[in-house]
Amino acid sequence: MLWYKAWLDTRWRFTIGLALLVCGAWLTVLGYPRVTRLVAAAPAIDTSTDLGRRLSEIVSLSRGFRGYLWAQWFRQTALEMGTLFAVLLGSGGLVSHGGGDLYTLSLPVSRTRLLFTRAAVGLVELFLIVFVPALLIAATAPAVGESYGFGAALAQAVCLFVAASAFFGLALLLSTSYSDVWRPMLIALAVAFVVGLAQIRYPPFVSYSILTLMTGETVFRTGHLPWAGLAAAAALSTSLIGTAAANLTRRDY
Amino acid sequence: MADPVIEAIGLRKTYGDVEALRGLDLRVPAGSIFGLLGRNGAGKTTTIKTLLGMARPTAGRVRVFGLPADEQESSVAIRRRTGFVSEDKDLYDTMTLAQMIAFTRPFYPRWRRDLEAKYLRAFELPVDRTLKTLSRGTRTKAALLLALCRGADLLILDEPTSGLDPAASEDVLQALVRHVAHEDTTIVFSSHQIAEVDQIADRIAIVDRGRTVVSGELDDLRASYRRVQLVFADDAPEPGFRAPGIVRTRRERRVLTVLCDGGADLVVQEARALHPVSVDVTAVTLKEIFLETVAGREE
Repeated sequence: MLWYKAWLDTRWRFTIGLALLVCGAWLTVLGYPRVTRLVAAAPAIDTSTDLGRRLSEIVSLSRGFRGYLWAQWFRQTALEMGTLFAVLLGSGGLVSHGGGDLYTLSLPVSRTRLLFTRAAVGLVELFLIVFVPALLIAATAPAVGESYGFGAALAQAVCLFVAASAFFGLALLLSTSYSDVWRPMLIALAVAFVVGLAQIRYPPFVSYSILTLMTGETVFRTGHLPWAGLAAAAALSTSLIGTAAANLTRRDY
Repeated sequence: MADPVIEAIGLRKTYGDVEALRGLDLRVPAGSIFGLLGRNGAGKTTTIKTLLGMARPTAGRVRVFGLPADEQESSVAIRRRTGFVSEDKDLYDTMTLAQMIAFTRPFYPRWRRDLEAKYLRAFELPVDRTLKTLSRGTRTKAALLLALCRGADLLILDEPTSGLDPAASEDVLQALVRHVAHEDTTIVFSSHQIAEVDQIADRIAIVDRGRTVVSGELDDLRASYRRVQLVFADDAPEPGFRAPGIVRTRRERRVLTVLCDGGADLVVQEARALHPVSVDVTAVTLKEIFLETVAGREE
């Protein structure tokens, strides 16, 4: 029944996240014909500046459906929303959420089991938030006269899910140190922001950034899964959740 | 004497610089209604939290059902046999009572459906209203139902009547007494309401500043504690009693008052040597024992 409480604690965050990402994915697919017309009419872009090069790259990618999806969805919307909802799903609700922290602690279950149940429910929700929109893209692509393979969609979703689970793990770990929901959320989002900022300030860092892994750039450019990056992100996420369990076990209430 | 359900020896707990428990000792025999009496901040809640594994003792030993309460696995086994009501009546506010019962029941293999039906009826609890909408009294009864139906060998109740009106308090206390009369249960409850401890407890411990200052069977305490009041013709002399068990001596002009735990006869013998005008030995109430022991330590 612990899973039921974890679900009750996170269901609104999950439902809102899933609804937003499903709608976003659907609108992204439906918006493709309009973007195609705009791209065809786009004037030449000055590529002497960094911004110009970026815009030019987006325009260039958007000439094809696959590139458009990667640039608009996987590299941008899914990355931002995926990070946000990974953090939201990982924050709070460990012991105290909607009251009842001492009630939970009085139940005959170990704190390790409490945390792992909460983590499992959160990760399943994150999985659905990531995979359902990706599969929806593949399923609805024919509606705009295009096709997008389910295999490619799944590969992109794997990258997003595994990397986002590290932010989920971070928020979960912070939630074992703070009793409110806000500080874990804000600190984890600040970490994501700093990583994003570091990518812009130090371009060599881009290849090693977890945010790059989340975009599935390797899948897009080479068609292969970035196994080393995925393994590193999975190890990071596992160690964060493990540390959270140890932290929760040590904590006094 | 049979093995105690709870045994704490030299229990210490510090939170940063704050010493919540400073060597507390506790021994709760099976089948008793044990009142943990103390002022706010005396260490009652911290004691309860260490019994349930919610807080780890800094030093000392604490065993419940003979199991170490500070080890994770044992703590789970202890909680399987223990019902608990927290001071704030912590429940899941967004659930209804029916959902809370359905959530809690699977954790306790000995869950008593007969008691569930009985207390739902007796407490007139609304099962389909979310818990955050319940009044304080109804919420307390709901928390009590969730603790009593666990088929627990031990009930730990932290200030079970706090914030309740006298009628609701009486309902809760009577429910506890009836429960113990019919079930094989030990109850430990904390309170700073002396009257209710006096009303239902058969054993007590008075806790002050993280230490047990008085402990024992309530009837024994009532029999052993005495106030010896000496009135002198002039100002009372400086007290210099050597009799054992003197808890507190108070001198006020012509009157010398001695509170003693046993040995009142010896005090009277010594007192006669001081040539008082009158010697009066009276029994004391639990309230007086509490106030004298706690206030005495304060001075």
